[in-house]
Amino acid sequence: MVQTAWGWLIAIYLFLGGLGAGSFMMAAFFELSGWRYRSNFCPVALVGATVSGPLVALGSALLIFDLGAGRMQPWRIFYMFTHFSSVMTWGIWILTIFIPLALVYGFLELMESEAFLKGFVAARAPWLLRNARTYRRWVAAVGGVFAVATAVYTGVLISDVGPAIPLWSQPVLPFVRIPMLPVLFLISAVSTGMGLTFDISATIADPEIQRRFRIMDLSHIFLIGLENIAIGLLFISALSAGGAAAESAKLVLYGPLAVVFWVGVVLVGLVFPFVVHAYAIGRGQHSLASGVGSGVGIVIAGLLLRYMIVYAGIPAAL
Amino acid sequence: MSDTKVSRRTFLRYLLGTGAVAAAGGVGVGLAPAAQAALARTDAPKARYALIIDTTKCVGCGACVHACNIRNNLPEGRSYVHIVPKGDAKRPWFLPVQCQHCADAPCARVCPTRATYHHESGVVLINEKLCVGCKYCAQACPYQARTYDEERGVMDKCWLCLDWASEGKDPACVQSCVLGARIFGRLDDPNSEVAQLVASGKAKPLHPEFGTHPAVLHYIIEGE
Repeated sequence: MVQTAWGWLIAIYLFLGGLGAGSFMMAAFFELSGWRYRSNFCPVALVGATVSGPLVALGSALLIFDLGAGRMQPWRIFYMFTHFSSVMTWGIWILTIFIPLALVYGFLELMESEAFLKGFVAARAPWLLRNARTYRRWVAAVGGVFAVATAVYTGVLISDVGPAIPLWSQPVLPFVRIPMLPVLFLISAVSTGMGLTFDISATIADPEIQRRFRIMDLSHIFLIGLENIAIGLLFISALSAGGAAAESAKLVLYGPLAVVFWVGVVLVGLVFPFVVHAYAIGRGQHSLASGVGSGVGIVIAGLLLRYMIVYAGIPAAL
Repeated sequence: MSDTKVSRRTFLRYLLGTGAVAAAGGVGVGLAPAAQAALARTDAPKARYALIIDTTKCVGCGACVHACNIRNNLPEGRSYVHIVPKGDAKRPWFLPVQCQHCADAPCARVCPTRATYHHESGVVLINEKLCVGCKYCAQACPYQARTYDEERGVMDKCWLCLDWASEGKDPACVQSCVLGARIFGRLDDPNSEVAQLVASGKAKPLHPEFGTHPAVLHYIIEGE
């Protein structure tokens, strides 16, 4: 039946990798577009930059904890950098570059807003403060590329098992040979990143921020639409593929994972945020509850999406 | 398997070579010392093996599973061979599946540490010293042929009893099959039974649509 080699540790890692990467993308986007400088204090850039490193690092720690001999004899982990036909080798390189960049980015943001850090840096490395904006822009630009790579790679990792687990390797469309999961995980990464940095953090820090970035409501609706299409196509193609792929789809659509999918992913992560953001567009503003609520919904659904995909992986019949 | 005579001189030469090969870390790295030594004195480095499973003879008795478990000292519930029940209640049949030793092995491709590798005979082996236990190979193997050694945290699978094979003996699963549903031999010897079964097209790879090009295991399946 369902694959047993990977469990909830991997599901949480896939989620944290996406969430951290998405948060970085948000912060980097606000930095590079100049939106960060529309006000004195930008919670999106601050939260996005500071949480992304720790989130991805925590996810990677779970990944290492899931290893066998690699956990008992950690030096073996270095072997994992060596085989470039393996997506996992690509992944470990991406993580090794992305996590430090994200931590540096977080530091560069924190040192602007934390008086203690600012004083410390001013005393020890004043050049850092003088050129802070230049450094931030560079880290945001380079790190942004690796953030996208992190989000995409989590999907490529599990889709690269090929015919062994058909649900994971379903193509975007029958005639487009790109697997769907990297696309879906990238959409989900951006959407959960927005949920965390904008809907939750920015709303709590500054409820007025919603007024200044009305485009975010539209972006959410656009992403929800995309995610809807991606999930829909994934299960339509899985059902029509038959075999183990269809078995996987049935687990999700009306089997043991149906509650996770219909309630957790669809209702909490797609329908509810859609209604909230559509309503906010009509009314012209968010309330604290609607902003935080939709953000929490999107983030929880992001976790449940990864959980559902991992636990619906049925190996091909022999 | 047809006996291959090894002259004493050849034997001694290979015996002497054992140390050098083992030192160079060539064949069989990560295997048990006894197996390593046996592999190093293989009389035919260019050997190509074939293991044909005749499902028309298999009754699913599980002797191969038990023999394999004993040979490889495997705990209860973990086996290199698993028997998949097929057909229906009226006409059941059994499909014993183990590592197919694919030429395009997805397990070797996705392994981040190169722990999985091809022996010069084409047999797919695992270097346990490199394995980190990420289980990616288990996910990528469409034949579900890999097992995880919880105790040591490394992957494990059929290695075709390569020490015995290189001595001209049959693997444990073949020796134990009382019904003769398992035929083992040298594919590089055109006169061998396995070579002829494969050449005639009677014995075919299992699920060629997976695209992994199984190199060692072939199946005789009725009606196919």
